[in-house]
Amino acid sequence: MKMPIIEINELSKLYGFGDATTVALDDVTLNINKGEFIAVMGPSGSGKTTLMNMIGLLDRPTSGDYKINGRKVARFSEYRRARQRRENIGFIFQSFNLLPNLTVIENVAAPLSYKGVRQAKRLKLAAQMLEQVGLRDRDSYYPAQLSGGQLQRAAIARALVNNPSIIIADEPTGNLDSVSARVVMELLSEIHKMGNTVLMVTHNPSLTRYADRIIYMLDGAVVYDEASTVGEIPARVQRAVEALRKSDDDEKLANVSAMMEMMPEKHLGGSSPAEKSKLKKSKKKRGKKKK
Amino acid sequence: MTLEYFKMAVASVRRARFRSLLTMFGIIVGVSSVVTIVSLGEGVRQQISTQIGGESQEQLIVVKPGKQTDQRLISLDAFTALSQSGSISNKDWQDTGRIEGVSSVVPVGVISGVATYENKEYSGNIIATTADFPEMFSQNVEFGAFFDEDNSKQNYAVVGRDVAETLFEENNPVGRPFTIRGVEYRVNGVFELQESGTFSAVNVNNSIVLPHEAAQANGSTIQVVQVFLKASEDSDVNKVAGDVFNKIKANHAGQVDFSVLTEEEALQSTNEVFYQLTVFTAGVAFISFIVGGIGIMNIMFATVSERTREIGIRKAIGATNVQILGQFLVEAMVLSVLGALLGIVVSFAANALIRISTDLQPVITVEIAIAACTISVATGVVSGLLPAFKAARKDPITALRRDV
Repeated sequence: MKMPIIEINELSKLYGFGDATTVALDDVTLNINKGEFIAVMGPSGSGKTTLMNMIGLLDRPTSGDYKINGRKVARFSEYRRARQRRENIGFIFQSFNLLPNLTVIENVAAPLSYKGVRQAKRLKLAAQMLEQVGLRDRDSYYPAQLSGGQLQRAAIARALVNNPSIIIADEPTGNLDSVSARVVMELLSEIHKMGNTVLMVTHNPSLTRYADRIIYMLDGAVVYDEASTVGEIPARVQRAVEALRKSDDDEKLANVSAMMEMMPEKHLGGSSPAEKSKLKKSKKKRGKKKK
Repeated sequence: MTLEYFKMAVASVRRARFRSLLTMFGIIVGVSSVVTIVSLGEGVRQQISTQIGGESQEQLIVVKPGKQTDQRLISLDAFTALSQSGSISNKDWQDTGRIEGVSSVVPVGVISGVATYENKEYSGNIIATTADFPEMFSQNVEFGAFFDEDNSKQNYAVVGRDVAETLFEENNPVGRPFTIRGVEYRVNGVFELQESGTFSAVNVNNSIVLPHEAAQANGSTIQVVQVFLKASEDSDVNKVAGDVFNKIKANHAGQVDFSVLTEEEALQSTNEVFYQLTVFTAGVAFISFIVGGIGIMNIMFATVSERTREIGIRKAIGATNVQILGQFLVEAMVLSVLGALLGIVVSFAANALIRISTDLQPVITVEIAIAACTISVATGVVSGLLPAFKAARKDPITALRRDV
């Protein structure tokens, strides 16, 4: 029996005022079940990160409602949001975001200190996590002394140390070479197999093979949502990948946009031409902002 | 968690040592100036109270010329009394010696003149007094002896260390003759070095002490600037002081142009002087605490904005606003407490310097050190509050997006 761990109901997020308003999330409705590994894809500015920030309780929606573990979290106070983050959410970032002045083990133990766990126990748990990601021998190194892949593994250990129910990975391999990326993905896959819920934002279509569900986003809306088999790249994504191989290197930079162009379902949203142009405008603005 | 904050704060201060030191400068100046001045006052107070009156201080009575209208006008130095109106005659202090309960009387009479020895001149204090002088001021004689009741008609003199070294250019000039306004005196003794020196009621180091009777017999003009009396052990010092007051008042035909102070009152008046000085310094220190506080606030604002990304990360991994607030508040407090401790170290150094270069013996008490630290912590909290609030209220998404 599938159990929804995240229930999102018509969630919207707007930035700015008046003509400058941009729509980051546009009436998103989505259910995520416990134990799923979801790859969230879409071009820059499609609202992937905003959605992750919503689920991760870093951001507040403009309208709509959502539940995490059955609790309505949209109107939570700052304090309760922080507690939820600490107890239920583990973040993995593209740029690792380890604290540079703490050692690896201190970084991993940091979430526990906010929970009030005593130091001895904290370090013990952190050491266990580092063991799991294969960094036990690097525990007293500082982040500057580690490679990208090691940093991301440490970040994964930190995300897992609180035993969260949801793991949010925002382009976890974005800053890694292909070998390190593979190690990190295998690790995430392991975590998934242990029964954790993983949400991963990615630009790399080949990484979808680790996921068992793929969500495509465009202009703040979920335009496609399909189940996939772990180990396989879905046919649609496959076509996009092949298309990319043929294209020039320059175009690779916009690979996902190209992929989206290939998708016949991109008009699924059925929005009117006026609305679409508005969305396009906002998309451009967001694109600029990101830079 | 508090310990965590503390560790984080110490780590952060250590990372930016030089900057932290500059930040703490205001606090260091504030603390060291307050501690030094208060320790000076305390030192002088202790010196005076251990000096005058010797064994039984509480039995001391001081008579000064001039009406005591405002305590704060009374200086601790006996000679400033010269400028007071009114006078105490020889008859006055001699009469008080006959009052029941008075065990000893030590007048401090000033004789104007210059001491001459082998064409050298010395212009120090020339004091005419009685044989009880050494006991009253707990002042020992190092070489020779003080005059006593029996030889107080002789032209004897007891000189201070500075007189011996400057005028006679030797440690032990006992037996040397010298002249004051043509009258020849002979050195009968040399005082031990008086540690408290300039800040005592009578600075014996640069004094030439003569027997009152002899000086009077030689026709010197003696102006009594202060009289120190001791009530006997079994008498009520307040009653004796009252009798002394009435006696002199009667001598002055009912006019009160003098003051009679008990030991407590006399000390209070010297304390008043230092109280004023302390208030003044406290004002200066208050300003430096404000400046120091602003310095801390400024650097904390800079730190908060520098560490925006760290704040974002910490929030993402579950730090509540209160926890972020605590972290930065403790950091500001650590800065101010470190500043206070350094300030105390500086004041100890200043203390040593003062002891070496002057006669003063400042005393740093635990109370003042604790008080200075407390004020510093308060400064840290007040100045850290605003930056810490700013840190706590940062939006985690914006904070994480910052690429610093």
